[in-house]
Amino acid sequence: MFASSPRPRLPEALAAAVRPVALAQTRTFSLVEPWNDLIPGGSLRRGGTVAVVAPPGSGGLSLSLGLLSAASAESHWAAVVGVDDPGVVAIADLGLDLRRTLFVPRPGGAWAEATADLLEGVDLVLVRPPTRVSTRSARALGDRVRERGAAMIVLGAPRTPWPSPTDLSLEVVASRWHAGSRLEGRTLRVRITGRGGVRPVEREVTLPDRRGRAAAS
Amino acid sequence: MERLVAILVPDLTVETPDGATLRRSLELLDALGVLCPFTEIVRLGLYALPARAPRRVFGGESAVLEALAATVRETVGLEARIGVADGLFAAEAAAHAGRVVAPGGSDDFRRALPLTALGRADLTATAHRLGVRTVGAFADLAPGRVAERFSRAVGVVHRVARGELGELPGQRDASLARRLARLREVDRPDEQRGFFGQRAAGEARARAAALALRRRLGPEGVVVAAVVGGRTPEDRGSLRPWDAPPPPRDPGAPWPGQLRPPTPVTVLGRPAPIELRDGEGGSLEVRRGLLSAAPATIVTGGITRRVVWHAGPWPSVERWWVAPRRRAHVQLVLEGGEALLVRVESGRWWLVGVYD
Repeated sequence: MFASSPRPRLPEALAAAVRPVALAQTRTFSLVEPWNDLIPGGSLRRGGTVAVVAPPGSGGLSLSLGLLSAASAESHWAAVVGVDDPGVVAIADLGLDLRRTLFVPRPGGAWAEATADLLEGVDLVLVRPPTRVSTRSARALGDRVRERGAAMIVLGAPRTPWPSPTDLSLEVVASRWHAGSRLEGRTLRVRITGRGGVRPVEREVTLPDRRGRAAAS
Repeated sequence: MERLVAILVPDLTVETPDGATLRRSLELLDALGVLCPFTEIVRLGLYALPARAPRRVFGGESAVLEALAATVRETVGLEARIGVADGLFAAEAAAHAGRVVAPGGSDDFRRALPLTALGRADLTATAHRLGVRTVGAFADLAPGRVAERFSRAVGVVHRVARGELGELPGQRDASLARRLARLREVDRPDEQRGFFGQRAAGEARARAAALALRRRLGPEGVVVAAVVGGRTPEDRGSLRPWDAPPPPRDPGAPWPGQLRPPTPVTVLGRPAPIELRDGEGGSLEVRRGLLSAAPATIVTGGITRRVVWHAGPWPSVERWWVAPRRRAHVQLVLEGGEALLVRVESGRWWLVGVYD
């Protein structure tokens, strides 16, 4: 009889106040401007998978890499799988710390195994699958990410979606270059869809700007 | 597989307790790095560099080899054996033989090597019983049969014998890079320090993962990157196998004429040939620093796309080693909104990168 009676709930604000701060921080990877504006909650959740959806050449790679930049700058190890020809200078300009970034440019058919190997050792993994993704390997990787408390970004084109539900999906819906005597910057319009039927929102971000970084639009 | 120059300095292969060999090895690495910034030390006494880079400039491979031998003589006062072939395994064997294997000849060269060149006593003994005496004969064994008879490690060696992998496991001294970096640090204590505490734990985990991956994908499967000195995105981005020594070129040195950001986030390891045409379908050139006409279309891999905007050319003339190298870069935006960086060199156009 006592067991079934509900425990009194703390008011939301009080619950937030007594929640250990350190714990909350270690459960997420931090994001800085302008990324915290794109991600609901302002940080990347440990154990979470984020899908980035963009037609090739429209900014999806910069968007995916940018999401890793703040945590990479804070000494977390990162890995980039399936990006066959990484533009090293641009990646450094975006804010990744190359001293703690591993690249697996051409994993071929072993990309999922390679990603699983990496999740044993690094906190952040960006994957651009070079071959079709089976539902089974997508799920297995999602489970691995959760177990390890890592974060995974999966980059794909609209025609090749990640076949398993993700916490968040960022889709590049428009991409516009600003150019004078040279390329000056690009505005990406990103549609952000969370889980649980929350209405998608759209945000704009400048990526890259004229210094090769991300900036609020 | 990349054509490599291997430089073998027999007198630097044995380490001395006073650290003199290590110090001289580092000195030589830096000296060779001036000739070719992509020079790496594979293990004590063995250096490698891509054959393509300096050849064009020195006017032929033999001139490159002479310059390299002279550098070894002048820097450490020792004689070097130099060889050229595709992939590190064949290149080292070529250096032992003092041979320059002609382009396209590496397969035959590798196959003719005695089985002992693979450096595995267990393999040599068993294979001899099968009547297999050369690398080529071993390569012809079906992979399934090799897996049956030998350990997994020999499976990797088999892939090297078949020319599927460029280097043997263990051919590279994985710890040497770190030791040389430490030596450099002693000389230049301001440079980046190692990791401590939590960072050390993170690094150890990452190393373990990288090792596991290398076992899975081979020595070139895991790569690390660095920004080095240079003018163009393709020169400034250095990618090297994980655990290979860091490149010597200083990114902080002034590089006048450096292309300004933004930089393509995809930079092709091997630039792809393209055609750039004007409105009439004629080929474009750069004359006295100007484009001969506005680009209207670009043809890549047989597909024609419309160019809607362009900027440049940004010419760069470099005293690249000895002879000047004239290149110019142009930025393009295509009808679909993608932006590209292309380059012209000796009248030919190349796709360098994509601003993805």
